[in-house]
Amino acid sequence: VETTLLSIQDKAATKQQMVEELLPRQFGRRGMIWTAILAAFCVVGAYAYYRQLKHGLVVTGMRDYVSWGIYISNFVFFVAISLVGSLITAIFRLANVAWSTPLTRIAEIIAVSAIIFASIIIVVDMGRPERFMNLFIYGRIQSPILWDVIVISTYFFLSILLLYFPLLPDLKILARHKQKSNKLFHGLYRFLGSFWKGTAAQFRLSERAINILCIIIIPVAFCIHTVTSWLFATTYRPGWDSTNFGAYFISGAFLVGAGGVVVAMYVFRKVYRLERYITPMHFDKMGKIVVLLCLLYLYFNINEYLVPAFKMKKPEEQHLSELFTGSFAPVFWFAIVVGMILPTIMLLFKKGRRPLPMFIAGIMIVVGAWFKRYLIVTPTLLHPFLPMHDVPASYLHYFPTWEEWAIAIGSLAGALLVITFFARIFPVIPIHETILEQHEKDEQF
Amino acid sequence: MKQYWSNMKKMNSFKLLFAGGIFLAAAVPVLAQDAEPKELLSAIAYHVPANGVPYLLVTTTSKLEKRLLPVPRVNFNVFMDADSIIISKGITDAEGKAIVYLPGFIRQAWDASASHTFILHTEAMKGFDETQSELAITKAKLLLDTVAGAEARTLRVRVLKLEGNEWLPAGDVELKLGVKRFGGELLAGEEETLTTDSTGYATAEFARAQLPGDQAGDIILVARIEDNEQFGNLVTEHKLAWGVAPRPSQAGNERSLWATRDKAPVWLIAAAIFIVVIVWGTIVFLVMQLIQIRRLGT
Repeated sequence: VETTLLSIQDKAATKQQMVEELLPRQFGRRGMIWTAILAAFCVVGAYAYYRQLKHGLVVTGMRDYVSWGIYISNFVFFVAISLVGSLITAIFRLANVAWSTPLTRIAEIIAVSAIIFASIIIVVDMGRPERFMNLFIYGRIQSPILWDVIVISTYFFLSILLLYFPLLPDLKILARHKQKSNKLFHGLYRFLGSFWKGTAAQFRLSERAINILCIIIIPVAFCIHTVTSWLFATTYRPGWDSTNFGAYFISGAFLVGAGGVVVAMYVFRKVYRLERYITPMHFDKMGKIVVLLCLLYLYFNINEYLVPAFKMKKPEEQHLSELFTGSFAPVFWFAIVVGMILPTIMLLFKKGRRPLPMFIAGIMIVVGAWFKRYLIVTPTLLHPFLPMHDVPASYLHYFPTWEEWAIAIGSLAGALLVITFFARIFPVIPIHETILEQHEKDEQF
Repeated sequence: MKQYWSNMKKMNSFKLLFAGGIFLAAAVPVLAQDAEPKELLSAIAYHVPANGVPYLLVTTTSKLEKRLLPVPRVNFNVFMDADSIIISKGITDAEGKAIVYLPGFIRQAWDASASHTFILHTEAMKGFDETQSELAITKAKLLLDTVAGAEARTLRVRVLKLEGNEWLPAGDVELKLGVKRFGGELLAGEEETLTTDSTGYATAEFARAQLPGDQAGDIILVARIEDNEQFGNLVTEHKLAWGVAPRPSQAGNERSLWATRDKAPVWLIAAAIFIVVIVWGTIVFLVMQLIQIRRLGT
């Protein structure tokens, strides 16, 4: 009896310790500086957007030929990174990958913040944003743009639900630890989850809902990025005229999403001291997945460039020459080498899959992926089939103005700010699931 | 060493003087040539457009840098018949051209004779002397019609010239026959040019079957005499229902992927509705589950 009592006491103590470790914490000095920097970028971005609203899209570097600049590159980047929610949460959950539990919420919040800013940046790209509703009122169902609008809003709601359902048991824990939160947050926890009592019936309903969500979010996630790729591929232009674009975009999205999760894993592990929960084993396993995704994306890249290079039709030749040896070559080779080849080489070795090298590889993948999206959008627009004659010099090239940079950087900062605030308010690792897994391990032991 | 530099300086001064002398000797005639006025080439051409007022085209050019370049802003006067009637005082444009329409006040003098001479006089200007050129023309008519009863569609052009008070056939006149198309003229027959016979006629078979016409299927045929020494430039037009009326494309009115929003293909609408209903139905179901969870807890 004494042993049993001691065991129960130990379990209770372990649980309490886990809860203490996983509860959200107040920002320290570094957290405050980080938040202030992000907020400052957002304010500058908002001012730049005010200027764009006031003067029109003429403040950007976009003209008649390059009508999609870094806003659309940024949009494709956000859509790509949002795919990670379905990868980590849905696919791993359906495949019973137990080790992914500490990573699921990180993936979900990255997905939600990315999809929010994907929607915002597309409105920013509109010359007349007050006409946004016309998309719904006068939208043509034949247009991939309308498909994108439908699928993005659907994915947004599904991601919110996938974030919310697994959060319910944690909300109860958060509400119980009133002393650890302020009045505002406590009110929020109660508003969102006071009805969660943890009964068997509630768990059954929640589990079923999560399973349905995991199943349905995968095709929707595939759709969101396939449809985004079709915005380009349904247009007959050098660099976009491909039947492979859907798969090419999805493989790239999985890679950048996984890279983003690796970076977030490292940062949260360091800042919140979560070494017990996000272990080198997680980095090792994620590293292997990232290698696979790098090779997959590299394969699609070779496919995308080799086939047109083999045929070398005149407009394709100009486009490919610009990418491989022309003015876009430095960015192109940076995206390929830094964004794909170097991470693959690094992560092939066990030492390369330790937390710090993984973090560096993750940064390389994410930065490389952003420039890769720029390369997908802009060089093609600068190589139309008909020669560019009798046009102002500014139409012949494209470089973003400070307003575009400020808005693009502001949107990236905004996405990071959403993740930062979420991590301040909610636990970044699912507390209830982690405790449950620990109990299962103990019982097995 | 000092001696050496002194000798060098003397030598250089001598060379400099020698080179300067050579340059001046070469440059003086060149400069003198530049100062001489260049030759202005002035020309006048007579045009009778289809259904329009006859006009004279004045051009002022000069051979500059081995090319014939326009000389703009040249003041000129145009007279008719030995300086007796001044038709126009004008100035050429940036292209060295000016159009002078035959004014109404010369009608009496114009009708009095079958032939007239136009005299162009350009005033002297910086770099150019005054010039004078003449153009003698005989009044002519260009008639275009179809040949009735011919096996194939045949066109007939007739050129008549005025002699005394009589319109007589003009033979051996070269002309072109075309169809108006896309702002230019498409050859109507097989041959590039036609020449009138002694009766003043020239015929050609119409070789452009199924040519798109206007809404009624009409096409405009054009007969044209260009730069004829005796008659100048004459144009006449004739509208014929020998074209094909265009049938507007029905592509936008049928259900297709490229049609307007209300003409989307049924299969696409059905597929879209099916997918949206399935996915959003699931979302609604999940929200219902959430409501049920809420109900269980309260």
